[in-house]
Amino acid sequence: MLKTKDLVLVALFTAMIIVLGLIPPVPVPWVPVPITLQTFGVMLAGLILGPWRGGLVVLTYVLIAMLGIPVLPGGRAGLAVLAGPTGGFLLGMIPGAVITGWLAGALPRGELAHAPQGWKAVAPQVLRCWVASVIGGLLVVYAVGIPWLATVTGMGLNKAAWAVVVFLPGDLLKALVASIVAQRVRRLGMI
Amino acid sequence: MGSFYFPGDSWLHRTAAGVKLLLLMLAGAGLMWVHDWRILLLVLLGVLLLVQQSGARLQQVWLYLKTLSWLVIILILYTAFAQTPLGALEVGLRIYALLLGALLVSMTTSIAQMMEVLIWLLRPFHQLGWVNSERVALVFGLTLRLIPELTVQWQDIREAQAARGLKANPFTMGVPMLLRTLRRAQDIADALDARQ
Repeated sequence: MLKTKDLVLVALFTAMIIVLGLIPPVPVPWVPVPITLQTFGVMLAGLILGPWRGGLVVLTYVLIAMLGIPVLPGGRAGLAVLAGPTGGFLLGMIPGAVITGWLAGALPRGELAHAPQGWKAVAPQVLRCWVASVIGGLLVVYAVGIPWLATVTGMGLNKAAWAVVVFLPGDLLKALVASIVAQRVRRLGMI
Repeated sequence: MGSFYFPGDSWLHRTAAGVKLLLLMLAGAGLMWVHDWRILLLVLLGVLLLVQQSGARLQQVWLYLKTLSWLVIILILYTAFAQTPLGALEVGLRIYALLLGALLVSMTTSIAQMMEVLIWLLRPFHQLGWVNSERVALVFGLTLRLIPELTVQWQDIREAQAARGLKANPFTMGVPMLLRTLRRAQDIADALDARQ
């Protein structure tokens, strides 16, 4: 059973993803598409809270949006988003966060707080987080989103996949930033 | 925060929320199999008629649609380019019929009614002891309550860094944002436990 603190963490992280999503998109050099911080928040939820609480965070996020409260980027909400072409990407974030958290694994509590902080010492942790967010936060999300896009629009899977390619560089970069941030936070063992 | 719902007394408002959601799901699944643009056009006109029946102000509907439209228009152009113009017409009609249908449900169903459907859907899990509906409601309420708090927290960090001449960057914003959020969790949890 989840403790009160777990429930609070889920609520806090969900609220944080919502806040991150409502902040105007951040332009990133070399990437043609403006990056919303929403998927960034989803990766962080998995990396920092682990698979179950991370999954619950995204589930809560999607359900709140479906209830009709405008929490998605650009103040969107409601069932229309799910019925639309990008609904699959939203739904895919739920298993995405679970798998990110599962692959990233748990860090021993607070043990690394005083560990050496050189670039070489943290690289393996960051790399593991990055692989986890790329598989969970990108591949799994795309695996649900692309067939959904293909079905709603009636375009073939191939063409739908190509339409998503523009987001790939931004998402890979986002995964890296999330991994570095997560590694810094995880090291402190506050969860 | 506002939602899409507007109070009213149309027959669409009076229809049970669960029924509307079920019909929307069936329509969504059904429309995927329709490839004739004339039928899709009829469906879209039918949905528009329903929107009119709900008593929604068209101006408001247009405003909501606009926020969803830029992506749809890109998709339609992409389809026209990658497939045929007729295919693009089909895609456009289908997506707008679905968007409007979903919007209609959101506009005629209050958040409380939606929440009731959710709790009802969770009932089997509640009885199995897997999910506690009251805790679900607690998490939802808490999340909504925390959104303004965290927005202020974000602005605080932003201002603190601007004062030191730092530009917003994901590391300098992300780490303090997360640490403050995590530190808060324990305090809120203690406060909740103390009240039980």
